[in-house]
Amino acid sequence: MKRKLLSVILSVGMVASLLAGCAVSTDTGSGDSDAGAEETATTTEDAATEDEAEDVSASEDAATGEEIEITWMFWDDLEATEDLISKGYKEVIDRFNNDYAGVYHVNVITTNLEEYDTKLNALIAANDTPDIFICNPGPNLTQYVEAGVAADLTDILTNQEKEWYDSFSGGIFERITYDGKIMAVPTNFAAACVFYNTEIFEEAGVEVPTTYDELLAACEKIQAAGYTPISCSAGTAWCLSMVAGYLCDRVGGPDNLAKIESHEMEWTDPTFIEAGEKLKELSQYFQPTAAGDSNDQATAALYNGEAAMLIQGSWAIAQINGNNPDFEQKCGVFQFPAVEGGADPNRMIVKTDNLVMSSTTEHPEAVIALMKYFTDETAQKYTAEVGGKIPVVNGVEIDYTKAPAQLSYVQDILANMTGTFGFYNESLASVEAGDTFDNAMVDIFLGNCTSEEAFQKVEDFYLKEVWE
Amino acid sequence: MDKILRDKKAIIIFIAPAFIMFTLILFVPIIQVFYYSLCDYNALTKPEFIGLENYIDLFTDDETMRIALKNSLFFMIFSAVSQQTIGLILAVLLTNIKRGRNFFKNVYYLPAVLSSAALGLLWAFMFNPRMGINQMLAYFGIEGPMWLSETSGFIVLPMWVIAFVALWQYVGQTMMLYIAQISGISKELYEASYIDGATKVQTFRYLTLPLVKPMMVTSLSLNCIGSLKFFDLVYNMTQGGPNHRTDVLATHLYTQGFQYFKYGYASAISVVLLIMCLIVSFIVNKCIKVETYES
Repeated sequence: MKRKLLSVILSVGMVASLLAGCAVSTDTGSGDSDAGAEETATTTEDAATEDEAEDVSASEDAATGEEIEITWMFWDDLEATEDLISKGYKEVIDRFNNDYAGVYHVNVITTNLEEYDTKLNALIAANDTPDIFICNPGPNLTQYVEAGVAADLTDILTNQEKEWYDSFSGGIFERITYDGKIMAVPTNFAAACVFYNTEIFEEAGVEVPTTYDELLAACEKIQAAGYTPISCSAGTAWCLSMVAGYLCDRVGGPDNLAKIESHEMEWTDPTFIEAGEKLKELSQYFQPTAAGDSNDQATAALYNGEAAMLIQGSWAIAQINGNNPDFEQKCGVFQFPAVEGGADPNRMIVKTDNLVMSSTTEHPEAVIALMKYFTDETAQKYTAEVGGKIPVVNGVEIDYTKAPAQLSYVQDILANMTGTFGFYNESLASVEAGDTFDNAMVDIFLGNCTSEEAFQKVEDFYLKEVWE
Repeated sequence: MDKILRDKKAIIIFIAPAFIMFTLILFVPIIQVFYYSLCDYNALTKPEFIGLENYIDLFTDDETMRIALKNSLFFMIFSAVSQQTIGLILAVLLTNIKRGRNFFKNVYYLPAVLSSAALGLLWAFMFNPRMGINQMLAYFGIEGPMWLSETSGFIVLPMWVIAFVALWQYVGQTMMLYIAQISGISKELYEASYIDGATKVQTFRYLTLPLVKPMMVTSLSLNCIGSLKFFDLVYNMTQGGPNHRTDVLATHLYTQGFQYFKYGYASAISVVLLIMCLIVSFIVNKCIKVETYES
């Protein structure tokens, strides 16, 4: 009898611990029921800043006395990072804290990328929104804009700080503007291109393809020469989805996404189906392990000389050159080929890193000062010359002899660019919609369903969750 | 001492801290989960009451939920059967060998002490298409399957792989429970059976097995509930991919709650998970009749 009792107690314990597990999920948001109310009730004079100070996990150096403290939340550990762009951000923070010593001080909350959104949301729900935080464009930012977490920067940018605003490259604010309101400030941007191994191209006797059919022919020749034509990761779904995004745009762009959003177009449109079929066709030239390879493994296949081409964002430059410096001179870049009879082939997938100011911050002037440091000449020069990403402001004199060779090729391609669009998964209605698209593309690739069936799934999701 | 126990105030004072903690960090959130599961709630705006809509969606219109249910049930049945049998066999073997008992006990138990996150990564590397097992197979000229990204079949290959790793990780725990129980059986009973001329197999069948039954209830409950709410290995090895085919209830809950911030929907999943756990432990406790032989 005793044992039975014990077993009952133990199983109750298990169930209880399970609930405790669930409890965490709701508990994060539990303080939020009043957060919404307070948002409208403006002045949050509770001890928010004090709480934040306690939350700071990696404050750069101890703050002194009277200075105004703000917090910046970032998705990489500034102390331990190997990422060149993150290192550049660390320099910005150090420079800012030095120059403004005694006036402003910025504390940094860092997390790893995977937990970033979760932790940020928990802070927002607890009314502890960091004064300034980094954010991806697309549904991620939209969610903060809609919840009123992001401050409207239009007035500051277009009136008070006109000079600063004018220094930015044209169109850079396009994707972070909502109903004419600018909600964020970009710090750098990257464009997706095709990186290729010039030696393999020479050996196989292949010219840089400018059309999709030429690309297929090139793949055929490269395969015959004994190399993997294209390295791609389907294990990391967005890598595959980026190729799909390019195909969708090349076949049915440039305004197909806008039409999807307003429901003037269906996901079952022939152009999408055709793009899906082309993806399947192209995927036969991927490395045999593409289904399970991670993004890093796919990138490694290029710089190790196993694969001839890699379709990736220009942030891969830092990774390629960092891992195999010898590859820099053999690495060429071309833009994603055109589809005959399709749309404008000079549009590029680009992505910016953005800074968002909290709508509840008590020190907007300090936040703006910090934002300016992120976009000043020193920071932007570093972005290009060391980080290999593209600056967001005009008139930065980049020393291309210092910068990675590939960066200037990317810049050459950008010179002919006629328009930009985001990653498909980041351009759709919600994070979940993006994942639905990614997963549909993975299914096409794995051969689990046809292009029609895959896009039907996206269509179904939109009918249920988005268009209603 | 008696005086203290008679003092109601003292009792309250001693019990209060634990009671308050329990209420605050367990009871209140449990009630909240039930409430949120009836709401449309994204953690950034106020929860909006929508009745049973989350549950209706969950059971009628969520393909991933169906996959997750299927995988979780498969995982539970596979774990229950394999861990209980192998755990019991190991326990019996180990209590019967004369030398090296402690050594093997430690060897089998070792994976259970290691962090699941680390093990998940370790096995993800082992089953990676370019590393580990496939690299070894390639050495012998065999092309290994895509262990973690194969998607054909009713129960996909990655689920079998994960279930196997979980078995490897947790079988030691089941074994320990049985060893504890077996060691508790009086030596006299074994001596008596030996004198009566029982073979080893007979001793196991008629003596050991009935006497470890009470532990079977405990072990099976722990096992079933543990595998229903299983999360870490799946999350670290496949993240539920490719295309949700290896999602289990807990990873589905995580994705909905922490990636899409549909807290209400995630709460509904957790309520379903809770009810499943309760049903399973109820069945286990009802179905295995425990007789007590020793007074």
